[in-house]
Amino acid sequence: MALNPFFLQGSPSEQRLVQDLINEQLTIYGVEVTYIPRKFVRKQTIIEEIQSSVFDDNFLIEAYVNTYEGHSGAGDILTKFGMSLRDELTITISKERFEDFIASFMAAMPENEIELASRPREGDLVYFPLGQRLFEVKFVEHEQPFYQLGKNYVYELKCELFEYEDEVLDTSIDEIDTTIEDIGFITTLNLIGLGRTATATANKGDGYISQIFLNNDGSGYTGTPIVSISTAPSGGTNATAVAITTNKAGVYSIDRILLTNAGIGYQSPPTITISGGGGTGAAATCSIQTSEFGVISIAMVDNGVGYSTVPLVTISNPGSGIGSTALAIATINADTEVSSIRIANAGIGYTSGDTPTVTVAPPPLITGIGTFRFNEIIRGLTSKTEARVKSWDSDTKILKISLVGIGTTVSGFIPGETIVGTYSTVSAASTSDGYAIYSVKSYDHTDTYDKYDQNDEIEEEADTFLDFSQSNPFGTY
Amino acid sequence: MLGTYFYHEILRRTVISFGTIFNDIHIRHKNSTGGDISDIRVPLAYGPIQKFLARIEQQADLNKATQITLPRMSFEMNSIQYDPTRKAGVTQTFKASDGTNLKKVYMPVPYNIGFELNILSKLNDDALQIVEQILPYFQPSFNLTLDLVDSIGEKKDISVVLDSISFQDDYEGDFSTRRALIYTLQFTAKTYLFGPIADTTDGLIRKVQVDYYASIDRENAKRELRYTATPKALKDYNNDDSAVLREPLTKTETRLSINSSSNLSADDRIIINSEIMKIIEIVDGTTITVKRGYDGSTITTHLENTSIDKLTAADDALIDVDDDFGFNENLYSFTDSKDYSPSRSIDI
Repeated sequence: MALNPFFLQGSPSEQRLVQDLINEQLTIYGVEVTYIPRKFVRKQTIIEEIQSSVFDDNFLIEAYVNTYEGHSGAGDILTKFGMSLRDELTITISKERFEDFIASFMAAMPENEIELASRPREGDLVYFPLGQRLFEVKFVEHEQPFYQLGKNYVYELKCELFEYEDEVLDTSIDEIDTTIEDIGFITTLNLIGLGRTATATANKGDGYISQIFLNNDGSGYTGTPIVSISTAPSGGTNATAVAITTNKAGVYSIDRILLTNAGIGYQSPPTITISGGGGTGAAATCSIQTSEFGVISIAMVDNGVGYSTVPLVTISNPGSGIGSTALAIATINADTEVSSIRIANAGIGYTSGDTPTVTVAPPPLITGIGTFRFNEIIRGLTSKTEARVKSWDSDTKILKISLVGIGTTVSGFIPGETIVGTYSTVSAASTSDGYAIYSVKSYDHTDTYDKYDQNDEIEEEADTFLDFSQSNPFGTY
Repeated sequence: MLGTYFYHEILRRTVISFGTIFNDIHIRHKNSTGGDISDIRVPLAYGPIQKFLARIEQQADLNKATQITLPRMSFEMNSIQYDPTRKAGVTQTFKASDGTNLKKVYMPVPYNIGFELNILSKLNDDALQIVEQILPYFQPSFNLTLDLVDSIGEKKDISVVLDSISFQDDYEGDFSTRRALIYTLQFTAKTYLFGPIADTTDGLIRKVQVDYYASIDRENAKRELRYTATPKALKDYNNDDSAVLREPLTKTETRLSINSSSNLSADDRIIINSEIMKIIEIVDGTTITVKRGYDGSTITTHLENTSIDKLTAADDALIDVDDDFGFNENLYSFTDSKDYSPSRSIDI
């Protein structure tokens, strides 16, 4: 039987009136929430899932809270995986408002990032300002209430708290973005505010070893061998030296022998013995200078800081201009300091009146400058590693970062390398074209902030009784 | 009956060492071009926790913005069972040393500890990355070497066997429940439990003595020969610095130039670095001749001014547990009719 032709069952003008009334009610009784659409970074095929996502847009929309008496869901529960907050929220938003003010913008986004733009989508986020919490849309109900006057006017969004992994939340609203500031896998970069050039002084003496000649570099030196030099005559100073090993095409041998002290008072070339280190065959002799002065040792005055590579060391020429200038080589430690300076050639021709000076090249970056911003991408200029800033403490120069490995490598940051931000935060006159720039003192790969994580505690306890020397079939672990 | 207090923390150590296997597992995510964009070390924790502690530590902010961070792994001990297949004699004991004292230890009791490792992840791919990094190590067991009891220093291999793998993926159904991806791996750690450990009154054996008789008729037979063996030091313990080398010594030289031979005499054993030598002759006040590489030591070169130490009975007396040592052997012939009294340590 046909419908009664004298009733319209909902005319367009009636439908518009209902929609307007709903819109108005929502603006009066609603809460202003932020709708944050999910953009896909990588979609895994076959095992259909979005492996990486970015949330970097925000749309304000008024919403009516259906569960006005409180959150629904299981509440806060303790699981075998720690605390799990199972709060749920159901909100109602206007269909017309969504289509006019959100869907049209979403439709303009690249197709590979937004798969569907015409309606609210499961997987998108809703920031609920009462409680400052992030909810993920679990289900969108579009037929509740059911076709009044022949049309649906609202979407009901069933949401539950967001499960965070490593998604990028960069909506440009600090109140929202900072909700994940302290969670996720966070590692620590210890940066150097101010690099410092190392300084050292040279000691001179006579009757010294001017140079050590490595006659045979030996083989099999997997460890560092001990270099023993026979003692100086009574009243002199014994010379000491260290061997630097190298690995060429799988053969471990001695690369060179450097003097840590060239000695004083030698009248004839001493015997040099090379032992230990697991190798054999290395042999060395030396030349001595008995009448002239040379640089016999170099004492560190200031170890400096901020060195990523071994700096060049120069020593002043003999005052007379005759003879040869001493040569020295620096070593750096894990704290990016110059730990010592060793002598490759003690030089010839210095007189008792000469005061040889030692100059160490400055570190690549003397002054760290700028303020890193939350969510900013930072880049290591040497390692090419990238990461996102979680927080920056300008007093302690501690930079907390996450998502390490955006770029060409996931090996992490290298001590001594320069870190540059990608937000303009300092004047363009700086060396970094306006970006915050510092050098790395150290990089801690572990997450020391997660309250669930016991990985390091387990390792530390186990170190006292577990024998890690036992090998396993897949190498080290 | 029971009640001798002891607590070696063996179960706790087994739990920790089990956790150590899985505490450095990472997962990586890629971008659309295949570049790595994040590397996460999967957090691991022992599941059971005091409830209030979990709440105040993990939810310090009551209005925490998110439900949980994923992926996560948790493990817990879920069974303790006697393992009869590894049973040893109940009265069997062995001696162990903590470096200074000798301990008497009963054979440990074999127990199997059941463990469960749970992996909760947001993405199936994450769980697959984690599981794939674990499974190849278990064929089906993975051995850990543990120092179970500090005071005996006895290392035991604990075999951790992967018994079963199961997983739950609730992807079906309405949209009111979220998909939960949980992998559960069941393991058995074959550990050992030690009882109380007491100091023993037994000391180290420092002398072995055998008397030989010419006949098995001990009533009438006379002893003829005695053989004794005592430990002989192969390194210097008392650092006596009896002399100093005056010239470098090559590997072939047997004539040593030293500062003074007054503290040395022929037949003395001396040690330079780790090479032992026997003095053949005291030539003069600063020269001696020696036999190189004595007592199986390796002949090496020595620098001048290296100290020379004598190996004497004083060094022998200082030999400690676990040191390498040789033997001083002696033979005595007897014409008397005495017998050795073990209780009085003299011949009577």
